[in-house]
Amino acid sequence: MSKRHLLALFSNFDEAEAVVKELRKISLKGFDADKDMIVKSPIEHPEVEEFLGDKPVRVQWFTLGGALTGGLLAFFLISGAQGNFFAQLKGGKPVVPFPPNFVLTYEMFILGGVYISVLGFLICAGLPARRSPLYSAKVSEDQIGILVQADETASGTLRSIFTKHQALEIQEEAGK
Amino acid sequence: MSVTNLLENWSDFRHKHPVEDVPHDPYKWAMSIDMDACTGCNACSVACYAENNLPVVGKEKYAHGQAMHWIRIERYWPEDDREFPDQGAQFLPMMCQQCEAAPCETVCPVGATNHTADGLNSQIYNRCIGSRYCSANCPFKVRYFNWYDYPTTENVWPAEMVQQLNPDITLRSKGVMEKCTFCIQRIRAGERSVKNEGRILRDGEVQTACQQVCPTNAITFGNLIDPDSKVHQKWKAQRVELDVDEQVKDKEEGGSELRGYRILEELRPYPSVMYMERVRESAI
Amino acid sequence: MKDIREDIAWAKINNDVLKSLESPRKLFWVIIICALGVFGIGVGCEVYQYSTGLGVANMDNPHVWGLYIASFIFWIGMSHSGTLLSAILHLMHADWRKPIYRFAEAMTTFSLMTAGLFVAVHLGRLWQLYYALPYPNERGIWPNFQSPLLWDAMAIFTYLSSSILFLYVGMIPDLAICRDNIHTGWRKKLYTLLSLGWEGTDRLWRNFRVTYLTIACFLIPLAVSVHSIVASDFAMSQQPGWHITSFPPYFVAGALYSGCAAIITLFIILRYVFKFEEYMTLSILKKTVRLTFAISMVWTYLNLIEYATVWYSHDEVAKAVLLQKATGPYAPFWWMMNFLGSIVPLVLAFKRFQTHIPVLLTVSLLLNVGMWLERWMIVAPTFSHGYYPWTWDHDQWPSLVQWGIVFGSFGWFTLLFMVFCKVFPSVSMYEVKEMVYHRSQATKKLEATGKMATAGKGAH
Repeated sequence: MSKRHLLALFSNFDEAEAVVKELRKISLKGFDADKDMIVKSPIEHPEVEEFLGDKPVRVQWFTLGGALTGGLLAFFLISGAQGNFFAQLKGGKPVVPFPPNFVLTYEMFILGGVYISVLGFLICAGLPARRSPLYSAKVSEDQIGILVQADETASGTLRSIFTKHQALEIQEEAGK
Repeated sequence: MSVTNLLENWSDFRHKHPVEDVPHDPYKWAMSIDMDACTGCNACSVACYAENNLPVVGKEKYAHGQAMHWIRIERYWPEDDREFPDQGAQFLPMMCQQCEAAPCETVCPVGATNHTADGLNSQIYNRCIGSRYCSANCPFKVRYFNWYDYPTTENVWPAEMVQQLNPDITLRSKGVMEKCTFCIQRIRAGERSVKNEGRILRDGEVQTACQQVCPTNAITFGNLIDPDSKVHQKWKAQRVELDVDEQVKDKEEGGSELRGYRILEELRPYPSVMYMERVRESAI
Repeated sequence: MKDIREDIAWAKINNDVLKSLESPRKLFWVIIICALGVFGIGVGCEVYQYSTGLGVANMDNPHVWGLYIASFIFWIGMSHSGTLLSAILHLMHADWRKPIYRFAEAMTTFSLMTAGLFVAVHLGRLWQLYYALPYPNERGIWPNFQSPLLWDAMAIFTYLSSSILFLYVGMIPDLAICRDNIHTGWRKKLYTLLSLGWEGTDRLWRNFRVTYLTIACFLIPLAVSVHSIVASDFAMSQQPGWHITSFPPYFVAGALYSGCAAIITLFIILRYVFKFEEYMTLSILKKTVRLTFAISMVWTYLNLIEYATVWYSHDEVAKAVLLQKATGPYAPFWWMMNFLGSIVPLVLAFKRFQTHIPVLLTVSLLLNVGMWLERWMIVAPTFSHGYYPWTWDHDQWPSLVQWGIVFGSFGWFTLLFMVFCKVFPSVSMYEVKEMVYHRSQATKKLEATGKMATAGKGAH
């Protein structure tokens, strides 16, 4: 049993939505609508998320972790450095002065938050990614692509669904 | 470890100096300058040039304000339209005030200037990167910057003068800040020599170069916490205290007739130099 | 007034923006050559100063800071409007920012780099710059964390690296477009590498949206803190004319002000050089101009507040500094700064000038001259009339070397900026598509409910 990829391109979101809804209803061999269907679009489009259903985004947890780590690290690193480095008075201020340490804690809080968010983005979004087997430059231009993966016996059914909803182009992975 | 160190010594790390602090022990170096005695002869400044290897920058750079005099004699003229203003001229020897809470220390990005255990404001030339923030924040403007590489500049120390340079003092390269140290090389040498005798320095055993040459003894230098020292006695007689931003005597009704005061003490740098106001009118 | 056409073909957006990477107008090359020349002057002066010592900048005691610090604040300030456009307006869903935020964000990055240069140029011992970094070392020596200059270094590092990440993350979809359309040479390799294999899948977009929003949320307080910290360099000191509580908000307002003026200047230049007339429309320019006007009035208010607090505070020394600004050797510059900063922007209040390109170019440049003077007038007069009388009446004028380095920094900035616009899409393609898509959806909805006639198209 071998799997095949199919990519269909559509000119607007309504058609893509109809296809997604239909694909969810039918059952095909070797096709799971949650896993094997990817919608590609040229713009960030909240409606795609709606009709694809709720899929969790976990970047914010990275953000939280990164920001807290950054802030705590800053405060203890700085206070520790002040305590150990000569422990020498400067300008009559305490050796471990709070206002300056809070300023730096604040900066490091943001620094950690931003860096780890971006790291989280790369991890959660799976970047840098290997290019998928089927891709059309039209997706980065003005068309919406639906990439499905199913058993090769199902490709006829898929093709007919795509054609029914005015697919502009259908690409199929070459058989192995 | 740093966290253990932090927790164990937390209270040590959180007090403010000098207002919430114990006095320095066994030394707190301080000065007292009697402006009634000062004749403005500039001997102190010359002695400082000789003792501390100060570069002689020349007329042109001096006029630019790039002079390196760690101690300078400031001249002030009266503004009362008298016929000979020189008669009312006043002199004020100004050097680093070795503030107990120095504004320059907090702002240095690399920590090149610190408060030492004997109450001095130290300057680490090797550490200085030349941001000049310390000078910008110094209310007395007594910090001097090496605008050029003076040791390699011609005529700063003419060939015959090189033998005169003080071997106890390093030469400063371009781009670092320097200032009066209260002749720290003399203090350290003195401390080392009495260490063998198992005692601390007595009053008068260490003199700063400016104090040594002052023909009228206008400059008194010593250990402020030593009750037998002249500087202690002068500060006490003038009722000037180190760790306050306003002297008790000035708050008394009718003010005080005592001459001692510290310059810009209301800014709370807690300077270690007490000046004594002039009582006689003419300069000479 | 013509705005971006809602029915513009998305393929045309790609084509137009991609074309800007290939064939700008001739003026582009003129600008590059001029910028190189100007930058060269700056480099020459810096080499001289580096090898001779800072004395050649003609600084002295008490004037230990000069144009370098003033220009440092200026460039830091310039960077703030990029964040305003890209982050604040993003959170506010102001869709008109979309065609212009990319270059504004690039302006943020490059003006921060320029500001960083001034920190280095200003140092007496540039070669020991790494002493200011908190790196672990066997001697256990750390920088002084109490110093506002160190906060500066930390804040600028955070801001610069976060801005670069923000710019980059927001550009990934566009880099993918470049990758799909440019098939030859080093550019192909560059875009392939940088686009990280972006294919616009739903998973990518979902995570992208959250990440972009998160970084935007971080950048806003960060930008405010950065200029507040720069203000702390002065407000935390004891010097009269600097030790002012209202400095942080005053600096932030000044930063947004000069940044917005710079955006207008660059808007006009980019629009012409890269033929972006269809995307950087006059209606967007008008909104930017109105924003600038509003900020200029905020700045004017805070400026007057600063004078008023000094005047009524009975702080004799600070008052003397203020008087000296108005009557002393710096008086011409001080009055010019007030005129350029508070009177000239009134031109922007007139509707007829809000889209008048020659007027706007002149005014925006004048505003930035005013804002540069403002920074100079913050830094310099305090030195010539501080607490200590011995330092008074000693005039000092920056040497040609000092002016040359300040001048050169403009060349450096222009160079970086122009090269960026040539190599990377300076109009965000995917976001312009989003903008026209959402606008046309809104129009459709209006048509469907029959409200089209009453609401009209003037909603934005």
